[in-house]
Amino acid sequence: MRLEKCYFCSSTVYPGHGVQFVRNDCKVFRFCRSKCHRAFKKKRNPRTVRWTKAFRKAAGKELTVDPSFEFEKRRHVPVKYSRELWQDTVKAMKKIDMIRVRRQNQFITNRLKKGKELRKEADIKEVEKNIHLIKSPAVGMMAKKLEAKLVEVIHEEDVEMMDE
Amino acid sequence: MGRPVARKKQHKGDKPLKEKYRMRRKTKDIDQIHEDLKRENAEKLLNQEVDLDKPGSAQFYCLHCAKYFISNHALKEHFKGKPHKRRLKCLQDEPYTQAEADRAAGMGSYIAPKTLKIITQKTKEAMDDSD
Repeated sequence: MRLEKCYFCSSTVYPGHGVQFVRNDCKVFRFCRSKCHRAFKKKRNPRTVRWTKAFRKAAGKELTVDPSFEFEKRRHVPVKYSRELWQDTVKAMKKIDMIRVRRQNQFITNRLKKGKELRKEADIKEVEKNIHLIKSPAVGMMAKKLEAKLVEVIHEEDVEMMDE
Repeated sequence: MGRPVARKKQHKGDKPLKEKYRMRRKTKDIDQIHEDLKRENAEKLLNQEVDLDKPGSAQFYCLHCAKYFISNHALKEHFKGKPHKRRLKCLQDEPYTQAEADRAAGMGSYIAPKTLKIITQKTKEAMDDSD
């Protein structure tokens, strides 16, 4: 059983699913569903359509370079069945998958950190800019005026004292 | 009363015609044009034999848009136009392949596509001048 990848969205095409198109130059295009087939017929570029894997990888939304991607491959050499090998492979697959998923999630959280920082910066800037909405500038002015008055009074008193 | 009345078949025999036109309207894909842009293929396409069935007897062909024009003037006007420029921009990226789809799916690390330099072909007069 060979699991192909969809030409457009890169999802797995299981046997009995999707359609395949053979162009008049013998090139084979496999599609997982009619949505992908239709987009191909409209000559859409998968790199620019936002819901495809190709877009997500090309735009840096997902982890692109990692050794954990090097296991799944198209191997044209048939392997003789051996129960031990089979068991080991399945065990390894599970482990590799776990590691890969963890790394992918880590990549996304790291990517989102930048936005969090930027948002915080923008918030601080906004508060600084619109501080007059929270605290009236008149409050400070009144206090300053009062202070100035007090100082004047003291000065006057000083002058009177000196005269005496 | 309650029985559904059979509708008149309004599109009987439409299918073969539709199928026919569907394939007739099929234009070249971008990766096929990239193949055409290779020197040996380009030369063949630009210097085609006189074919009276094609527009302009197949003498005025735009490589990038895979289109025949009726005269050199029409071809030159086409080069100035928006559709042609749009097409040039579209061709700048390396063509998308099944291998790239596989890599995006997690079979190997993803390699970003390269940008290529695409320029409009020389017109016939310009080619004559250079000779």
